[in-house]
Amino acid sequence: MIVIENSRLRSAVKIAVPFMLIPLLVVLGATVFDEQRYLIVSIGVALLSLLLFAAGYEKKPTGSRRMVIVAVMTALCIAGRFIPFFKPVTAITVITAIYLGGEAGFLVGALSALLSNFYFGQGPWTPFQMIAWGMIGLLAGFLANPIKRHKWFMLVYGVLAGIVYSLVMDIWTVIWYDGSFRSELYLTAILTALPHTIMYSVSNFIFLWFMAKPFGEKLERIKIKYGI
Amino acid sequence: MRTFADSNPVASAIYFFSVTGIAMFSANPVISAISLVGAITLYLMNNGRKSLSLHLFSAGLFAVMALVNPLVSHNGATVLFVMNNNPITLEALIYGVCAAVTVIAVLYWFRSFSDVMTADKLLYLFGALSPKLALTLSMALRYVPLFGAQIKKVHASQKALGLYKDENIVDSFKGGMRIFSIMITWALENGIVTADSMTARGYGAGKRSRFSIFRFKLDDVLLICAVLALSTVTLFGVRNADFEFYPYISTPEITAEVAVGYVSYALMTVLPVIIAVKEELKWKYLKSKI
Repeated sequence: MIVIENSRLRSAVKIAVPFMLIPLLVVLGATVFDEQRYLIVSIGVALLSLLLFAAGYEKKPTGSRRMVIVAVMTALCIAGRFIPFFKPVTAITVITAIYLGGEAGFLVGALSALLSNFYFGQGPWTPFQMIAWGMIGLLAGFLANPIKRHKWFMLVYGVLAGIVYSLVMDIWTVIWYDGSFRSELYLTAILTALPHTIMYSVSNFIFLWFMAKPFGEKLERIKIKYGI
Repeated sequence: MRTFADSNPVASAIYFFSVTGIAMFSANPVISAISLVGAITLYLMNNGRKSLSLHLFSAGLFAVMALVNPLVSHNGATVLFVMNNNPITLEALIYGVCAAVTVIAVLYWFRSFSDVMTADKLLYLFGALSPKLALTLSMALRYVPLFGAQIKKVHASQKALGLYKDENIVDSFKGGMRIFSIMITWALENGIVTADSMTARGYGAGKRSRFSIFRFKLDDVLLICAVLALSTVTLFGVRNADFEFYPYISTPEITAEVAVGYVSYALMTVLPVIIAVKEELKWKYLKSKI
């Protein structure tokens, strides 16, 4: 069926999506449709970005060991989402990213958002959660060196990730509710979500504080022992 | 019997994405209302009277969402009353209700979506996109219950060793951390064993094939055609039927075109019900012949 097994088609996706489809969608959203179409445009862009990432991941030869480790970390994230109040998803994503690289971080963040929604309910918010958590991982991968070297930098990153994640998801809440972006609604959304934002940041702080070192040592050991 | 839930995942996905997509895209309160009725009907058909708390939650969310808009937005000409020097207008209230209807409708659709599109079906769809990503996903899904079972085992053996008591908070926290540490080491090592076993059996050696249990039948083709046709008619019918809320509410004229659009959307929302009724009648008929 719609299998992208053909490598030529896959490289076509890689060029067409970022350079043609996404700009086209944004321009269409701005000009052809009248206002109140932000929602569909944003969902479309989110899905296309994920498609782009899937095409890139499929193309690259990843060793089976690396792939399984990504699956293991994702499963640990989901198992962690059942802990009441405190969520270790961001912490595990960041730790994976700094030891296994940005791509692994993106995958763990995005896949745990997708998979945990099997338990908590899928919705139009799923692609946004996937991208938001994936980006937290990707960015942590880019900043791997300073994060590894300074503990305070890692903790600040964790707290900021919690706040930014919440702010990004609030933008999406407002667009979903109103069809367009209104700053007074955004303020209301931020205020309503404030307890969650604080919870995210606090749990990122706590989990990174306690888990980063032992978790990192285990990942480092596995990396050295098996050469991932 | 082959109900809506048994149709090919591609057909189900197209159905759900079209039905919710039109409700979110059209920004038309009539479409949203039809969508809400259809979504609740489908949900009740699949789940019966259970999950009352869920309906209560939806009703509460509806009330909050409907009331947020008049509190923050003061557009509109008809002032109902003044609160803290801010006018509460009828138009803003109605706008809030309309927005809430759309949001709740989409929530109900996605609840049915989660019931119908189980993990295996979504994996099938992802497998079409990227077999490797689907494999990673399915491994992670399998690890969740495996880790749960392993945590129980580690917990039991730690207790049998007498290493910590459950009643002591400090002890139990330390024990929990130890179990977590043991679990991570075990999970990583176990993953490496899995990966080596996969490599030994030739993973990555050749072109990756995949097995799928879902077949494309005539019913699925018909369903997809029906959904696409009804979506087109709906979008074409309501393309100019724009509602204005501020400063006064103005509703579009109901021409034949718009009415056809509404009817075709209503038909689309009840497609799963139609399929269920059709299968039920067929079953009764076949039974009566025995």
